[in-house]
Amino acid sequence: MSFLLWLEDAFKWVQEADSIFAYPMILTFHTFGMAFLVGTSVAIDLSILGVARGLPLPPMEKFYPVMIVAFWINVVSGALLFAPEATRWTFNPDFLLKMALVFLGVLIIRLIRTTVFRSAAGPDSASVSMRGKVLAATSIAVWLAAITAGRLTAYVDSWSKFTSLFVVTGN
Amino acid sequence: MDTFLFHFKTAYAFWLVDHFHWMWPMLETLHFIGMALLVGIVSILDLRMLGVAKGLPIAPLQRLVPWAVFGFVINLLTGLIFVSSAPGNYNTSIAFRLKVLFILLAGLNVLAFYVTGISRAVDALGPGADAPRSAKVVAGISLFLWVGVMFWGRMLPFLWTQGANAE
Repeated sequence: MSFLLWLEDAFKWVQEADSIFAYPMILTFHTFGMAFLVGTSVAIDLSILGVARGLPLPPMEKFYPVMIVAFWINVVSGALLFAPEATRWTFNPDFLLKMALVFLGVLIIRLIRTTVFRSAAGPDSASVSMRGKVLAATSIAVWLAAITAGRLTAYVDSWSKFTSLFVVTGN
Repeated sequence: MDTFLFHFKTAYAFWLVDHFHWMWPMLETLHFIGMALLVGIVSILDLRMLGVAKGLPIAPLQRLVPWAVFGFVINLLTGLIFVSSAPGNYNTSIAFRLKVLFILLAGLNVLAFYVTGISRAVDALGPGADAPRSAKVVAGISLFLWVGVMFWGRMLPFLWTQGANAE
């Protein structure tokens, strides 16, 4: 607990610095990283599932560095967004769910590398194993859930705040 | 631009967002999903033309494009609802105008890609073939503009505006 408070103190400049190069720019880099990590991953998943008929899959592995760079941009930017509000995020179930989903999504990207790209599979999606197809479909589902949980961190600090989203007001 | 905003300032969109508290977060979530889909596929195509993953023939790679268009349509629709339900966040925002400008420029770039025959020329490129310089220019401009669109969109609540709702 005191570690969380120390973190918050050490990184409060992220939110308190009156500069668009602090919080706003870090948030923007987090968005870039998300788009390139998730977007590239989903494009690879769609290819594995056979959306692009006739597309040879092995060269698609060349886009792994894009995802790896995007991932590390988001580890760094994410840590900087986490630290100034370390206590808030540590005890936010939606944030923890998001982290679990991101971990799972990245794990699946690695599993797809060994299952689809590093196995002796044939040239295109027609020769991908059932395991490879299931991984690709699961990847898309996990990223959709991760984006949803991630976007909701801006709105959901607690279960009651989550349920309050569904209370109908006005007329 | 102001008449454009005015016409889409429908009472219905405002009512939806005002009435259902989950509506705005859900639309934002869809906007991020559409963004990832669009940027992921477009950047793969652009990077291939710029020389990454040259083992990919371009014609079958272009079969991913309808999914990028799908992402764009999601974002056009959710974006129109944002603007119509909370025009105050956008109608005085310079960042929003720059975002729209970048989207229009990206549209012109795509138009140039198809109209000038660059699309057909790269469609003929098999595994290992290098794209012509014109295709590389279009690809570079595309990457720059879409990153720019994300930049203006994400920075919109922080630049030249006091709007807080769009965060």
